[in-house]
Amino acid sequence: MQRVGVLRKPKEESYIDYSLIFIILFLLAFGLVMVYSTSSYEANLDLGDSSYYFRHQLVSTVIGLVAMMIVSYIPYRLFAKFAFPIYIAAAVLLLLVIPFGRTINGAKRWIYIMGMSVQPAEVAKFAVIVFSAALIIKLRKNLMNPKGYATALAFPAFYSLMVYGITRNLSSAIIIMGITVVMLFISTPGYKRYIIAALSVVALVGVVVVIIVNSEHSSGMNYRFERVLAWLDPKAHASGKGFQTLQALYAIGSGGIFGKGLGESMQKMGFIPEAQNDMIFSVICEELGLFGAIAVMLMFLLLIWRLMIIANNAPDMLGALLVIGVMGHISIQVILNIAVVTNTIPNTGITLPFISYGGSAVIIQLAEVGLALNVARNIGR
Amino acid sequence: MKQNARVNKQKFTIGMKKKLVVLFVIVLLAFVGLGVRLILITKNNGEEYEKQVLSQQQYDSTTIPFRRGEIKDANGTTLAYSEKVYNVILDAKLLLRNEKYVDPTVNALVKYFKLDGGAIRNYLSEHPTSQYYTLAKKIEYDQVAPFQDLMTPGTDTYDENIQGVWFEDNYIRKYPNGTLACDVLGFTTGDNIGTYGLEEYYNDTLSGTLGREFGYLDEDSTLERTTIPATDGDSIVTTIDGNLQTIVEKYIKQYNDEHVDNARKGNGANNIGCIMMDVHTGDILAMASYPNFDPNDPRDTSKLIGMPAVDEKGKLIRESDLDSGVYITQEMLDEMPDEQLYQNYNALWRNFCITDTYEPGSVAKPFTVATALETGSITGEEVYNCTGKLDIGGWEIHCHNTYGDGMVSVERGITISCNVAMMHVAQATGVSNFTKFQKSFGFGLKSNVDLAGEARTENTVIKPEEMTPTDLATNAFGQNFDCDMIEMIAAFSSLINGGYYYEPHMVKKIVSSSGSTIKNIEPRILRQTISPSTSEKIIKYCNTVVSNTEEGTGKTARPAGYMIGGKTGTAQTRPRGNRQYVVSFMGYAPADHPDIAIYVVVDRPNVPMQDDAKNATWIVKRVLTEALPYLNYPMTEEISEKEQAELDELRANMVTPSTPNGQEEQAEGENAEGEKAEGENAENTAEEGKTEEKKEDTDKQKNDKKEEKKDDSNIWEKFDVDEATGYYIDPNTHNLVNPENGNEIGGDVLPDFEGEPKANEASEGKSSE
Repeated sequence: MQRVGVLRKPKEESYIDYSLIFIILFLLAFGLVMVYSTSSYEANLDLGDSSYYFRHQLVSTVIGLVAMMIVSYIPYRLFAKFAFPIYIAAAVLLLLVIPFGRTINGAKRWIYIMGMSVQPAEVAKFAVIVFSAALIIKLRKNLMNPKGYATALAFPAFYSLMVYGITRNLSSAIIIMGITVVMLFISTPGYKRYIIAALSVVALVGVVVVIIVNSEHSSGMNYRFERVLAWLDPKAHASGKGFQTLQALYAIGSGGIFGKGLGESMQKMGFIPEAQNDMIFSVICEELGLFGAIAVMLMFLLLIWRLMIIANNAPDMLGALLVIGVMGHISIQVILNIAVVTNTIPNTGITLPFISYGGSAVIIQLAEVGLALNVARNIGR
Repeated sequence: MKQNARVNKQKFTIGMKKKLVVLFVIVLLAFVGLGVRLILITKNNGEEYEKQVLSQQQYDSTTIPFRRGEIKDANGTTLAYSEKVYNVILDAKLLLRNEKYVDPTVNALVKYFKLDGGAIRNYLSEHPTSQYYTLAKKIEYDQVAPFQDLMTPGTDTYDENIQGVWFEDNYIRKYPNGTLACDVLGFTTGDNIGTYGLEEYYNDTLSGTLGREFGYLDEDSTLERTTIPATDGDSIVTTIDGNLQTIVEKYIKQYNDEHVDNARKGNGANNIGCIMMDVHTGDILAMASYPNFDPNDPRDTSKLIGMPAVDEKGKLIRESDLDSGVYITQEMLDEMPDEQLYQNYNALWRNFCITDTYEPGSVAKPFTVATALETGSITGEEVYNCTGKLDIGGWEIHCHNTYGDGMVSVERGITISCNVAMMHVAQATGVSNFTKFQKSFGFGLKSNVDLAGEARTENTVIKPEEMTPTDLATNAFGQNFDCDMIEMIAAFSSLINGGYYYEPHMVKKIVSSSGSTIKNIEPRILRQTISPSTSEKIIKYCNTVVSNTEEGTGKTARPAGYMIGGKTGTAQTRPRGNRQYVVSFMGYAPADHPDIAIYVVVDRPNVPMQDDAKNATWIVKRVLTEALPYLNYPMTEEISEKEQAELDELRANMVTPSTPNGQEEQAEGENAEGEKAEGENAENTAEEGKTEEKKEDTDKQKNDKKEEKKDDSNIWEKFDVDEATGYYIDPNTHNLVNPENGNEIGGDVLPDFEGEPKANEASEGKSSE
């Protein structure tokens, strides 16, 4: 509580976390530069417009910044009040994918609203933060007994199933569950069950991997299984699922300590497919080297640290949980993205927050930051 | 509501804050772990991956072809040039980006390049990721241009659905004049490498430097793309005069055509070669041999037909020692193994004028005399008694005229080509002087003419320490040592130009692709072989060979209206007694101040009686009749009516426009009507070398001769006449005797040296076939 005193400004009601805003703006600007750098070659080749991806991302970023500002001014308790409608709305958007979904790159994940493509899974991530926070506050005491805990897990799990069932987007489903688990982890005392749960998940994954490896030559392997095999030995699957991963590794390895220089990536020239999306971090490694990559990671760490500070100083439990949800979301996504790029885990389509190309994602993430700023604004009240 | 508010106001407890810190630590650890992983990847695999990245880049250089330099004749006529052509390349990956591209593109390819549409579709379905597949090669620009329009935006026929096709530049070598100067030029193989002739000898000059389009990594390992344009090759200007070359080839071909399948199946001779040279510079004005080939299509088997076949080791095939070879027929070609076929091609492509060695025969006699005069061994006033043979080292060596020529002066020795006289001259000279001069004349040395494939002759002449009196005697009239044509004409030029031995050469200028002169090749005098006064004497002697209308062996070489000099050669081949001859004529013009030399060799002419230099003089006469007016030499001799008729006939087929001859021409024109009656007679004379009509010819000549010198009839003219050939028959030996000079066929001048191991050995090693 002493810290609050330190952070508190003379005008106590209008605390604005400038360092958070600075970090966000830095990441956005850096993201735009990297999107342009990675995509211009291919965009020029395929679309005849080298700035195509850059311009689209720029528009989304501006919209996202506006959303951030709006969200930061709406009292966050209002969100909690409308948590259930928000939950329902996001679920409806997800369901709309079934009839109105638009297929891009073989995945049916987008719907069009007023000429803008929206990825409902991203909206669901925002919704699950707000809804879970509200739910945990509501359950408060009941959270201790298994029934209450199960209730807190059930609603986000329903989202996850919908996201996976409708859009076949496993990574978003994992992130949604992950956000909830992080929030529950903070709001319930004790480590035992989380450690047990984590160990059992690791064990389960281990068993599944062993089964997949042993059944390598049997039929009935779906494409996610091949991804697992490609993860274990990307070179053996260099022409298939391992191609993207292997090319990303080549990019990282060839970057060296200081990289080839901004814009000098060779791997972006058709070797890393869709480099501006999931694999943008590998191009960062190639162009800016270990130095740049670790700087970016430090930037994210700083962001997460700022969010932790805000959560710790939140005026109430709801505010803290909202910020923790945002923090969980960003942490999970950054860690998973970098883990994919470095082939630490199998390839799943996870973007790097604020940096990767993707309109819905950047708007939702900025809205979440707005939520955190909103909470920060109320620090000390 | 109040409770709600209280609940909402739940505080974030210390325990939760602790857990939040734990969460942050976990996230921190995850970041650290990933950071370590990044570092490990860079550290452990950095270099390998860096190489991978570089190797994936398509910076492997592509070469840009150069244009090979041109070969031009002395007048600037192009003999060889390279034309830009295009290879049609299919980029399947690019084409298959969109299904809609496939049909229009394949249809256009079929339409414009007559390609097999089905094959292209097959290839596309089998190799969908291929980016480089050559559909067609060496398509000319006219064919490519309309297709390029299809692909170029802005043209009327532009079709955006034509995708994935591009054109690669290339060059093909073209020889616009077909077979003209083929032996001199050589040809190029597909990859622009010169083979034979100038193309091989000047390959480095003609070849440019390949250009390259390549990517490279600068010091920051950044990929840079650079294009280094190709440097086109330099052109060469030869000393060959295209018109003279055409004249020479025309008459060689005509001789061949008139003698093909004559006495035997096959070409008009095993080889026919002709060189014309400027005696004051060593410039080769024309060089041709037959059989020829078309450098545009050097593997045309039809050119092989009629050639003497060689076996798979390149050795001439013979059924017996007495025949001149086995001549290639279509049936033989059909069954010929590849190795043997290749050897036969080599025989075809070889330039007889520089590659084949043979015994020169009597053409060597002026050298014998020049050596003797120069060394002071004779004065030129000596007179020898020819009894038809001379006994040397235990061998009887005969003269052509086995019945003896009587008293023969040095000059007459040349005129009638008397072997006995030459043997006396050589004996007077001695081995050491003879061999010293032989070397000085360049026999046994490479002439270093700038053509690929010149024969090495150092082992075909007899070394001074090994030369026996018999060798000396036979060498004196050009037997028992081998030379090649270029050696002989270069040496002979020095005899008649005042004694200056010029290095024979083919190229006088090297010009860059932009047209600037890079190098002028000046004539090179290598040495003085004889003194100018000796040279004058040799010219005087050699002039009588042609001008002596009674005894001159080369009188049939004289072109109408001109006086020339020269020397005939009728050389026996090995093994002796095979009745196979290499006949030749070495001529020069004008007779008093020689400027050009011409040397014709007919190797085993396709006639029943080969030992007749008229086979060579026939060609020389016709070439010079056409060449001398072209070279602007005024006529100096009167033209008889018979000759005029011949000239008229010749002019109809002339390569070069006939130059007016002044008054004679005019007078001729006026009398044209009246001379028609003599046309037939003239025609006969024109074809006197044609053996089918030999009998008539020789009868006529015999009659002429009898009329001219009735009292002075030769011994052999009293013999019986052989009906088939018109030759006389020697009652003692039953050999045929040439009615003109008393040559006894089969009664060869040279004994078979088989009994003497040394001579035999030497001749074995020197075999020219």
